[in-house]
Amino acid sequence: MSTFTIPVGPLHVALEEPMYFRVDVQGETVTNVDIHAGHVHRGIEYLVTKRNVFQNIVLTERICSLCSNSHPQAYAMGIEQIAGLTVPPRGEYLRVIADEIKRVASHLFNVGVLAHLVGFESLFMHVMEVREMMQDVKESVFGNRMDIGANIIGGVRYDITPENAAYLKEQLDRLEPAIAEITEIYRTNGSVLGRTKGVGVLSYEDAINCSVVGPVARASGINYDVRIKAPYSAYPDLEVPVHTLSDGDVWSRAMIRLAEAATAIDIIRQCLAKLPDGPTSCTTERPPIPAGEAVAKCEAPRGELIYYVRMTDSPRPERVKWRVPSFMNWDALRFMLKGAKISDIAIVVNSIDPCISCTER
Amino acid sequence: MSKLTDDLEGILASVAPAGIQYTRRTDAKGVGSAWCRLSSKSDLLRVATFLKKEGARLSTITILQPKAPSAPPPKEGETPVVPTFFGGTPHDGKTFEISYHFDMDGDTLTVVAYVPHGGDVDSLTPLFRAADWPEREMMELYSIIVHAHPDPRRLFIDPAIDGAVLERLIPFSALANSATTKGLWEQILAQTGGK
Repeated sequence: MSTFTIPVGPLHVALEEPMYFRVDVQGETVTNVDIHAGHVHRGIEYLVTKRNVFQNIVLTERICSLCSNSHPQAYAMGIEQIAGLTVPPRGEYLRVIADEIKRVASHLFNVGVLAHLVGFESLFMHVMEVREMMQDVKESVFGNRMDIGANIIGGVRYDITPENAAYLKEQLDRLEPAIAEITEIYRTNGSVLGRTKGVGVLSYEDAINCSVVGPVARASGINYDVRIKAPYSAYPDLEVPVHTLSDGDVWSRAMIRLAEAATAIDIIRQCLAKLPDGPTSCTTERPPIPAGEAVAKCEAPRGELIYYVRMTDSPRPERVKWRVPSFMNWDALRFMLKGAKISDIAIVVNSIDPCISCTER
Repeated sequence: MSKLTDDLEGILASVAPAGIQYTRRTDAKGVGSAWCRLSSKSDLLRVATFLKKEGARLSTITILQPKAPSAPPPKEGETPVVPTFFGGTPHDGKTFEISYHFDMDGDTLTVVAYVPHGGDVDSLTPLFRAADWPEREMMELYSIIVHAHPDPRRLFIDPAIDGAVLERLIPFSALANSATTKGLWEQILAQTGGK
């Protein structure tokens, strides 16, 4: 059997984002993967140091579209630690609502693309149509479909009126049975199972070794969720179950995402039921930000997002560093793809829910 | 309940014989974050080996060049005093401050090493796979040498661009090899003579 190297990417490996893999194959079995990154490196870490604290809320939201809410949130959490600001309770609940709305839309998008890669186009379109309910919510509540601009330093920019809350509840009531139905299809459909069960396996040991985070880690049996381990916003007051599976294959990762989408609906309902009255942010002025440094973490749809912020006497940060969940999960592809078939590469790559704009900044 | 135990400072001090500066704080939700500044970067591997044994996860690495503090000009006949970081590394605006953020089951321990400009630091990649990409990124963003990194290739920046990109200004069109509409259009105009 002959051994050779094939290029996969940089365009259209799973999504329309560029990442280039050099894959060594023997016959049609993958023996080694080398990842070449950098096609969408935009130097945002440099730009952040050229803008002031408040302008960076806008910039960090534009690092990535699918987890666009998590970036300004973690950044704001870091600044709030430095400045000693306390977000009022209503602001914290509204942050959770924004976070979980984004999580539902992000997870459904990834699971939908999986159906597309399996070749089950009608399921792909159905999942995207279901996701559209959440897109409608974003457009109605926040005025935008992707970059929702919910966070500001010290709280949130938006508020939920009783009318909005009623509409949101109505959409959740429509969404819940639709997600349950989709989950059932992914659990039982032969076409889906045949392409995803036992494919792209990441063992518990390898997952620990690669330090993977988010649904990829939880599908390999690592019980780690920032919302529980390092609670923030209103999560300590809410019931947030953590889903784990032990097989570590593509199917497990999809099932974790579907379970988390269903859980997110429940978390939004809890928030709406408990939503306290009061202001949505601790200040209407731009608060002074003293010198200092802080580390802040939150659970983005893809896993742990960590921000490090360093302020000096300047209104611009001296350094802002962030590490997105995808950054850790690329390395795991070397283990997932070892021994995989060439035809499964796209499915396995998609299963880490890769975000390249996030990774390369 | 913070996972950064009360005896952690003492243990870290015994692992890093050159000395540490330790601070710890806990936020309103009970999440702890601690900073352990190393007096000498040669203690880094020992501390990392200890943390690996403790089951810590390397979240990420931050590298920066802290701006030198403003000082009044020295009086006549006096030699200017260069301020220093903990451990004696000069605080001259060029020294690298490298923060290794370790996750201890939700809490964060940041180990800080100071490296003078042009200096090197030991690679943590043999201990933590997760250090691989952050260290490769460090090497292309700043002129720092990561000692014994198993795969010291460029990560994001093209090899055609000189290293240490965060130490100077590079126009985006140069970075992206004129891959912008305007840059591309100017190239076409130059080739066709403006017709």
